[in-house]
Amino acid sequence: MDTLTNLTDEKVVELVRKDNKEYYAELMERYQIKLLRYAGNILRDEHNAADVVQNAFIKAYVNLNGFNVNKKFSSWIYRIVHNEAMNEVLKNRKQIPIGEDVEFDSGVDIEEDFIKKEMMENTHSCLNKMPGIYREPLVLYYLEEKNYTEISDILRLPVGTVGTRINRAKILMKSICQKIK
Amino acid sequence: MSKNKIDITKEVMSKIERGQLKMRPKWMFVVGSVALVLGVIGTYVLSVFLVSLISFSLRTHGLMGAIRYQQLLDNFPLWAVGLAIVGTVTGIVLLKRFEFSYKNNFVLIVLVFIVAVLISGWLADYLGFDKVWVKQGQMRRLYQQYDGRGKVLPWRSGDDIYNFRRGNGQGRGSVYTK
Repeated sequence: MDTLTNLTDEKVVELVRKDNKEYYAELMERYQIKLLRYAGNILRDEHNAADVVQNAFIKAYVNLNGFNVNKKFSSWIYRIVHNEAMNEVLKNRKQIPIGEDVEFDSGVDIEEDFIKKEMMENTHSCLNKMPGIYREPLVLYYLEEKNYTEISDILRLPVGTVGTRINRAKILMKSICQKIK
Repeated sequence: MSKNKIDITKEVMSKIERGQLKMRPKWMFVVGSVALVLGVIGTYVLSVFLVSLISFSLRTHGLMGAIRYQQLLDNFPLWAVGLAIVGTVTGIVLLKRFEFSYKNNFVLIVLVFIVAVLISGWLADYLGFDKVWVKQGQMRRLYQQYDGRGKVLPWRSGDDIYNFRRGNGQGRGSVYTK
């Protein structure tokens, strides 16, 4: 397992395909938290987000032979989660506001800083007020640390459109946050 | 991390280990991709043919009058249009779902496809493929319905004699050469 952690996602996928099913756990471990956070930002509901991520991992496993290892696994799995989350949004049709007790592990030590936490809360409440078409690229860029090309892969938008939406989202975010204050 | 978060990894791995989840075999994706490519090629050829046919009909008769319009509507292979739409939509849905073709702009692909069909159809008409089709091959009957020379006499196909004008109540007509 030690060497497995050093392998790229795509190499792990190749191993899983060669009847090493147990290695799929490694891929899930790598992406579970990130995807939960991403789905949570779309759905604003932790339990729905968990269901969506679980379904996405199941679909990814079932269709693993259809994945092209010359492409990025991360964009592929994010795309599947995006599709699943969008289906869930359409199914529910109602946006559930994020609860105060809901938090997604960011991988950062939570004890750290009260101000940082407050800032995060403010950021989340600003984000929640933004329309989805601007929120998603912004979340992917700043929270998931994806580059424009990856975001264009995940959202199936031209790179130029991604840039435009992120710029507009920043302006929108600023005005929403100022209003909240 | 949230306390009540489901351990997704354990859940999914237990399903895999129990054999409840199985990977789709690779051949399914290969066959699917090949079928999709064939479907797109088929739709393309069919669409080129239809554009060429319409262009041919317009060229031989000028802009359509009410009768030609009705004839076109009566004989137009609507099933082919349905096939083209269903094929293209299915292809796009499948590509979006399973293929890693995220950088492709599907709207642009569809637009390019339509423009390519229109240009190819016009070229087929301009370069005279329709003249070949009107005289031979399986498209002969369909083309001759649109060329304004009346019904086809099956035993005279390929001749320069096309017309079969109906006489006065006899159900027979005069045959003339070009």
